[in-house]
Amino acid sequence: MKRRDLILFLIIPSIAILSSCQHKPAAAPANPLLNAYDVEQSSTDPQRLIPLNYQQAQGKRVFNNNCVWCHADSTPAGPSNRSNLTPTPPLFTDGETFNSLSDDLMRNTITLGGSAMGKSAIMPPWGQTLTPDEIRAVLAYARAVAQPPYKASARPASQ
Amino acid sequence: MTAKKMGEISTRLRAIFALVSVAFVAVLAVSPVRDFFQSWKRYEKNYVSYAQTRPDTKRLLADFHPGIDQIWLPEMRVLDRCTTCHQGISQTSLSDASVPQPFRAHPAIPHDVKKWGCVVCHRGQGPATEISEAHETTLAWEQPLLPIRFIQASCGVCHRADLPQTPKLNRGRELLSQLNCSGCHHLQDIERPAMLGPDLSNVGNKLTRQWIYKWLKEPHTVVDSSGNTVVDGYETVEEPRMPQFRLTDPEIKALSAYLTTLKGQPIEPAKFDQGVVASLQKSPDLADQGEVRFRQMFCTTCHSLAVTQGDETKLIGGNIGPELTKVGSKINPDWLVAWLRDPQSYLPHALMPRYRWSDQDLYKVTQYINTRLTDPELLSNVPPLEEPAQEEIRLGQRLFLEKGCASCHVIQGVSPQKDFGPDLAILGSKNVSQLEFGNSSIPRNIISYIQAKITDPLSVNPAARMPQYRLTPTDLDAITTALLGMTGSPANSSLARLIVPRAQGAFHPAGAFGELSDRYKCAACHRFNGDGGNLAPELSFEGSRAQRQWIMDFLKNPQTLRPTLIFRMPQFNLTDQDASVIADYLGMVTQSAAVKLSAVDQKQFTPQMAEMGKQLYEVKYQCNACHTIGSAGGYVGPNLSNAGNWLNAAWIEEWLKNPQALVPGTIEPRRSLTEQEVQALTAYVLTLKQKAPGSAGTTAGGAQ
Repeated sequence: MKRRDLILFLIIPSIAILSSCQHKPAAAPANPLLNAYDVEQSSTDPQRLIPLNYQQAQGKRVFNNNCVWCHADSTPAGPSNRSNLTPTPPLFTDGETFNSLSDDLMRNTITLGGSAMGKSAIMPPWGQTLTPDEIRAVLAYARAVAQPPYKASARPASQ
Repeated sequence: MTAKKMGEISTRLRAIFALVSVAFVAVLAVSPVRDFFQSWKRYEKNYVSYAQTRPDTKRLLADFHPGIDQIWLPEMRVLDRCTTCHQGISQTSLSDASVPQPFRAHPAIPHDVKKWGCVVCHRGQGPATEISEAHETTLAWEQPLLPIRFIQASCGVCHRADLPQTPKLNRGRELLSQLNCSGCHHLQDIERPAMLGPDLSNVGNKLTRQWIYKWLKEPHTVVDSSGNTVVDGYETVEEPRMPQFRLTDPEIKALSAYLTTLKGQPIEPAKFDQGVVASLQKSPDLADQGEVRFRQMFCTTCHSLAVTQGDETKLIGGNIGPELTKVGSKINPDWLVAWLRDPQSYLPHALMPRYRWSDQDLYKVTQYINTRLTDPELLSNVPPLEEPAQEEIRLGQRLFLEKGCASCHVIQGVSPQKDFGPDLAILGSKNVSQLEFGNSSIPRNIISYIQAKITDPLSVNPAARMPQYRLTPTDLDAITTALLGMTGSPANSSLARLIVPRAQGAFHPAGAFGELSDRYKCAACHRFNGDGGNLAPELSFEGSRAQRQWIMDFLKNPQTLRPTLIFRMPQFNLTDQDASVIADYLGMVTQSAAVKLSAVDQKQFTPQMAEMGKQLYEVKYQCNACHTIGSAGGYVGPNLSNAGNWLNAAWIEEWLKNPQALVPGTIEPRRSLTEQEVQALTAYVLTLKQKAPGSAGTTAGGAQ
């Protein structure tokens, strides 16, 4: 009898506690599908894909609309205008050039144009064409795809 | 003894009672204890301690309110408690990727996260305060969080018009209409066009039974030297066409038998001027001459051809019309001549323009198509097909309706089955229990369902009539996104207020221009007031932009000097009369209110101003980085060598002040030019003139 009481005493709360635990379904396996809008092929290793977050993906869109013509070697229309220009604009993935430049300097160059920052006037000012958010997004995209990779810690991030 | 026994029993009973009481209290205590250890309380506590490690602790804690935090949107029937745990969602200082979840800030989006909450876009169960209930499918809640790959679907619920920020959604919608999904399904905001597949009422005069058999069986049209299919007659990204239907050999025989009996109007034998035929017939390079004309007329702006370069065979050309690599082995030569002379008499809704052919050109081009765009091996593996038997024809007629052919192809006197496929306009809001998964082993959610249905319809429904589509993973995700965004009409009027409708432009010009526009199909490539194609520049304001004489010259001889442009305007062989009607219409009707042509007097521009403009163009603003003058300059904007003959002065001034105000989305950057600089640049651009008429620049205002 005593043992049965003890068992009863143990069973009731344990049922109550167990029932409160949730059944956790097994995590779904990661989908191998790749997405061209949300990833970017690494410029040095085509096998490697760089995932883009929301802001970087928006930057990719703006880049492919406005910047790709002079800062990439192939464009949606085919040939690029880059080789046509003196001085030759740096490629958007050119980490060696861009990684050492601060976010502020990069943003100001895009916003105010090359001549305002003491660079070539062939870089036009985009401040009245793109919104500040779009310019920030383009920068985030360029940072994400830079080769060698850009390390934010190398310079204090500016807000 | 009895009393003693009684005492023993009562002691034992008391003990049992005590134990049961303790057990009862313990059971009752489970609920408050569970409540005390709720995961959201733990997250709130963690958030407070995390906030204390941040430099802006004070501000973070000022925004923090303990307890369940909820956003209530009664008109949307949304109750959203996500911010109870996602405390930092609108704290910009917590946007860095190093901030642990669930405290990280949401990326900057055009909507206020604090106002709209999370479930409006991310789905999931808003009122839930348990992690799994909020995020996953549970017995009580069938719609889990939308995977982030498909998040643009939620934009599409309200934004029925395409947004630049949602390329995936836009691509999905484009695919849904390109792949003719509206032939069988009702789709949200994707109207059924006037023609999906060609009208087959007269197909027996155009094609042989062998070709139809081959097309239904294995419509691979181009194979490269190693035997790989380059152009798949079924849909590919470059060449969206008829999808793959599951047909057995007898079914294909029956369909081909039925279709060859469809001979509505007899095709008259091709008639050419006898003199033309006699003079051209003997020339050894007749087909070469035809090819030259074919290319000069820019047929490849709409039609593609397979081109082999080295080891690689690929399609080059547009996809408005069908791919033509082997079309000479397909069609009846008499039909081809009749078609080229007047496409609309065979297909009333055809997008092919009615060219003004000279007999020489037509003879040369048809000879080229019939002799060069052929493949003698094309029909070699088609079995011998006898004269169609009555039984076969009847079976074919039945199959034509049963297999859904009639949903896209019209045959006079044959009415298609209404609502052949299920209504997809509400697919995005369906619950898992409303979907049929059959025996398939795919995960039970709407995304797996949609993707399985598109790529392998039989896996979820063995009786499916739906054809199989082969899409790249990117396109499959895009189409899934577009379908997930189709959640039906808004449930109430306050929701309807939130819908941003798809703009329905309408361009139905009447009169003389209307006839010409219908003949040359201007709107197949050009957009007017939001209606028309996207291949060529928008012409809604062409009358403000271009000078009348330039429009005339361009129409007669559309030569663009922009080297990056692959697609060019075909040469329609317009008469002077046609060109002047079109130029008059564009000049009078397609005007922008912002450009006042009469307000700018050309005489005000002096050579000194032009000289200053040249300096600004070449040195200060370096316009030559993107624009070409003569042989030097960039490829991004249009060639300005002849801009003085092309553009109106008032347009140039307005354009320089604010390009996006005239052509929204144009990539020419807006600059802060002074009034004096605008006038100087305008004066300079107006001096840029080429003598020879016809060698004009493109009309594209740098739209792409």
